Amino acid sequence: MDFPRSLRPSLFMTGPLGMTDGPDLSFMCSWRDALTMPGSQPPNCEDPTVPLVRNLLWEPTTPGPLPLLPPDPDPWEPGMTPQDLLFRGGHRYQFRPQVGLDVTEQLSRFLWDHGDIAFAPLGRLMLENFRLEGNKGYSKKMTIVSVKRLLQDLGGHQPWGQVASEKAAMDRPGWWCPWAFLSRRLRRFSILGGPVLSRSVSMLLGRLLHEELALRWEQLLLDEAFTGGALAWLPGRTARVGQLVYPSGDFQEVSVNSGGNPRVFEDPGHIQLRGPVRQVVTSTVQGETLLAVRSDYHCAMWKTDKQGPPAPLKVLQVEKGATGVSLRCWPLDKDKVLEEGLGCWILTQHPVSCSPHLPGEMAICSRSGTVCLWTPQDGLQLVYKDPETLVFRDPSPWRWADFTAHPRVLTVGDRTGVKMVDIQGPPGCGLLLFRAGAEAACQKGERVLLAQYLGQPGTACTPLHLICTQFSIYLMDERLPLVPMLKWDHGLQSSPLFARLLPPASPGFPRPLLLGGQGGQLQLLHITGEGPSMPQLAGPPQSLPSVVDSLSAFPPLEPRRQQQLQERLEAPVIGLAAAPPCASVPALLLFQLSAAGDVFYQHLRLRSASGLGEGSPDHPAPEGPAPKATAPMDQSSWTPQASARCSRWAEALMELSPTCPVWAAPTFSHRRFLGHMEQQKSQPMSQKLRAAMAKGQLLRPEDLGTLPRAEPPPAPQCSQQDELTERLAESWENGVAAWWKGHRGQTSGSQTQTKRPKRRTQLSSTFSSLTSYLDIPDTSSPSCSQNLSTSEARPQPPRTQPSQELTQELWTESVQRERQQTLQDMAKLPLQKDTPGPVATPPSQASSLRAMPLRRQAPVLSGSHPPRKKSRMGF
Amino acid sequence: MSKFHDELTRLAVAERDKRKGSVLSNPGMHFPWLQERIETVVTGGKKKRDFTQTTSVCLSFIQEALLKHRWQQAADYMHSYLQTLEDSDTFKRQAAPEIIWKLGSEILFYHPKSNVETFNNFADRMKNIGVLNYLKISLQHALYLLHHGMLEDANRNLTDAEAWRYGEKSSSQEVLINLVQAYKGLLQYYTWSKKKKELSELDEDDYAYTAKSQNMLSQSCKTSASISALLKTPGVWDPFVKSYVEMLEFYGDQDGAREILTNYAYDEKFPSNPNAHIYLYEFLKREKAPRAKLISVLKILHGIVPSHPLMLEFHMMLRKSGCRYFRYILKQDHETLKKKIKRMKKSVKKYSIVNPGVRT
Repeated sequence: MDFPRSLRPSLFMTGPLGMTDGPDLSFMCSWRDALTMPGSQPPNCEDPTVPLVRNLLWEPTTPGPLPLLPPDPDPWEPGMTPQDLLFRGGHRYQFRPQVGLDVTEQLSRFLWDHGDIAFAPLGRLMLENFRLEGNKGYSKKMTIVSVKRLLQDLGGHQPWGQVASEKAAMDRPGWWCPWAFLSRRLRRFSILGGPVLSRSVSMLLGRLLHEELALRWEQLLLDEAFTGGALAWLPGRTARVGQLVYPSGDFQEVSVNSGGNPRVFEDPGHIQLRGPVRQVVTSTVQGETLLAVRSDYHCAMWKTDKQGPPAPLKVLQVEKGATGVSLRCWPLDKDKVLEEGLGCWILTQHPVSCSPHLPGEMAICSRSGTVCLWTPQDGLQLVYKDPETLVFRDPSPWRWADFTAHPRVLTVGDRTGVKMVDIQGPPGCGLLLFRAGAEAACQKGERVLLAQYLGQPGTACTPLHLICTQFSIYLMDERLPLVPMLKWDHGLQSSPLFARLLPPASPGFPRPLLLGGQGGQLQLLHITGEGPSMPQLAGPPQSLPSVVDSLSAFPPLEPRRQQQLQERLEAPVIGLAAAPPCASVPALLLFQLSAAGDVFYQHLRLRSASGLGEGSPDHPAPEGPAPKATAPMDQSSWTPQASARCSRWAEALMELSPTCPVWAAPTFSHRRFLGHMEQQKSQPMSQKLRAAMAKGQLLRPEDLGTLPRAEPPPAPQCSQQDELTERLAESWENGVAAWWKGHRGQTSGSQTQTKRPKRRTQLSSTFSSLTSYLDIPDTSSPSCSQNLSTSEARPQPPRTQPSQELTQELWTESVQRERQQTLQDMAKLPLQKDTPGPVATPPSQASSLRAMPLRRQAPVLSGSHPPRKKSRMGF
Repeated sequence: MSKFHDELTRLAVAERDKRKGSVLSNPGMHFPWLQERIETVVTGGKKKRDFTQTTSVCLSFIQEALLKHRWQQAADYMHSYLQTLEDSDTFKRQAAPEIIWKLGSEILFYHPKSNVETFNNFADRMKNIGVLNYLKISLQHALYLLHHGMLEDANRNLTDAEAWRYGEKSSSQEVLINLVQAYKGLLQYYTWSKKKKELSELDEDDYAYTAKSQNMLSQSCKTSASISALLKTPGVWDPFVKSYVEMLEFYGDQDGAREILTNYAYDEKFPSNPNAHIYLYEFLKREKAPRAKLISVLKILHGIVPSHPLMLEFHMMLRKSGCRYFRYILKQDHETLKKKIKRMKKSVKKYSIVNPGVRT
């Protein structure tokens, strides 16, 4: 193994992070690397030692990744967003927006949603009655409150139900009280007990909630559980066939055909695991491929043959009750040690000293700073233990371990640095490989997010280590610690937790280094330099399309589903793998695993126009075998196959997830509403009504079974148009004043006339007014209004069943009031112009267009399934 | 007024830094994507001005175009981005020239239509916009010229930069000036070595020979002056050391060369650079130093790079000298081998019990 003969000049400073005193000699330009001083011989710039490839580009064949497999059937919820966590509308007059966690809203929501949990213990403490202090003149009835009654009142409420959401949609969302129908008793109690209740609950809950929210917010910024990635590519029988391993529980055999599109073999192998998989690692040692999996409580290892399913070697269960050395090794008190910190890696054996009976070893580290070596034969072996961080004090318990070119030397990393530890040496000795400080010209607040050994066994490649931070990546040579061989500011907008170094497309070409951010951003760097030359960038890095970019390939869906699809595509990436390019096909197949369990692939072709071609004889190869390579690639177009694939995937996704959310029962207290009907319990009608209300269904006339339904619905009477329509029509013709006069005279006259028979005709007038309200929407979607018009436009049996009418009136009135409000909002629309149209008009294009605003209103009204039915009935 | 505004800004920043710790358990960690996440939520605060918004959007467009290798598009956006030089935010205004230089030089380096002249123009302008970046930009400009084979221009550039001073001489400025001088020295070394090559082709009695050698001598004096200053600063200075030592050796200053190399290899402040030891070893070998000295150098190298090809020589040397250290190493290996054989025998035995068909 040669060491680079001449290194790039660089300043070496010691000191803490963010030292701005010294000049930063890494100028962050990708071309800087091309300008290394060519050693001691005079520069012969016509033939520089490192060919700079100007147009080296891995070109994606499609504008975005495509789904490889049908969507994962497991339900997936998009996680928390900043909207859920942050305080909206912070202080004004601040220089920049602040991070403030919205504890108050979360707390109030908790109190509403889980009032029983929050307040029940206090309620249990109360005596049977309690006395309110007050004027002595007050009677006992006024001052004594029965707790039983109180609880009964409370019991009738079901928060966050239908009415709540309806009301919330009308008002500002989230700003109204669900206890809209408070009894006086409740009011008195809440005023009295408010200070006590709120203080005790908020004291107890507030701190815990804040802690939890802070944790979630931190997780949103950086979720370290999936560091390293949970997707792996196992090379198969030939270079074109391989297996994908990912936590959906599958070993998926994938072959790459000549066109570059992956073909998935039918039956995936499954391995049953307990617990979610956080990391999957593979390694090939002497032709034997090993596979290791890190879960929350387990680490396991498999051996895979080129044919056949993987054979389990050993499972390491991490138990709470472990004692002795293993307890020191696995301090698994759940609070102290979050097991996500266990990283596991298969030893990439040194080709010379590889022992035949030790084909695989794993380095496992715990959050307490312990690193163990684990072999199936010998079990765990404590290698290193240091609860403190390496360079400076940092609260993060994240630790990492990996191997180096030497089989007995491990790297141990934390947020502040990476250390090389010789496991044969005395404990505590070691050499810092990377230090978050002035040595690597780190910025203030920079921390290590990932440390990975990039070398491969068997090849004489430089033993490089990749260190990723939030700002930059560093390539460190373990023979020259602390001085980065290469530094590049990646500028990713999420934490770079995955990296894969792939073999070159053909000998002489730079090696692609893939860098994946959790938010789905991908970057590809071209790394050259082997043996006597320094590792450096062989061209400007490029970004690859992320999963969200393929949204345009999916067919347009209705907004709600579109949003669902987008959320699914925006799911954080938890794994990155690539089928390496081989000599015959200089193409790269990239796989991404999202947190929702979906696997996407992206096919990349190498396009290098100039610069490098002269040096390598294989240059025509890139263009040769790929059939589509000669065609000019239009990046912005999707092939029909790709679109078809996407639409099939979208269909499958939509089938998987029902869009209707679970319907919640209404929130109002029916005890109060139906209180006056308690005496008529024998009536089947009221029972039905009660049952319907409890279930939150609509009580339709058919359910009552009383109304004849043979007759056709009567046509709306044009004479009985509502006032609003008339008034609008008049105002359109500038005759409002006249209309108003006439109307006043008419109403006053009619009032005097109809004063006496009022009671008698009360019900019928209600219905007639109802029809007059209803005929506006009737026209807009006449076919849907059948049900209602059959029932309500029939004022015939007013006296036969008074109780029935009464209830119906109640019901219709409540529905009607809401509807009225909506309609009044809509009154500006020129709906009334078409009102005289008969019911039987077929729904034309125009009418359906007109119905649009009403329809749009409908989901807002309730946001649940049955209300939509209701609106269909009404309109 | 602007002073007052700056004061306010600083206060606000200080307050923000204080408060940031309240939400994260790791308050020292900075997330470059934090601002973006916050901005998805309307969190009040001062509303961003249109100017700031357009500038930041423009910057992100340029970065995206660069990463997609769309140089023309990036150049177009760059046109608009120059407005950031007029930002009213002092901090941003100061940081702007560096960003513009980075992005602009990157675009001009890769743009298919750009040439050296365009780059020269751009670099000359940028040098005078951000006064503080003068040295950095000059250095990079010189490297660019060097890359394009224009040694003369590069030399002139470095000479200009060398003479440049601004305000009080800070330590970072000093390092940069040293670096500029060292690169100049390296250029001089190139011309020197070219002349040396020509000289070797000339006859020694020639008149031209003496003139040339005189010329070379003066060149080497200049070079040593410019390089030696930098070599006192800790760092990785492989090309400088190598060329400097070669010149010193040529003029027979063995002690000077040895001192430089020893210092470069053994100074605590310098990183443990394997090349330093390799250079020292090669020098000592040329000098025909005693074997013990060579071994001691290689021993250190063995500690850093055990896989280096020089280790074969080390091995040979140890063998010849019959050193105790080597015997120790051999014994160690022997011990481990013994253990392994023992273990293997055990496992073979075990398997033969379980499976009597297998014979040892």
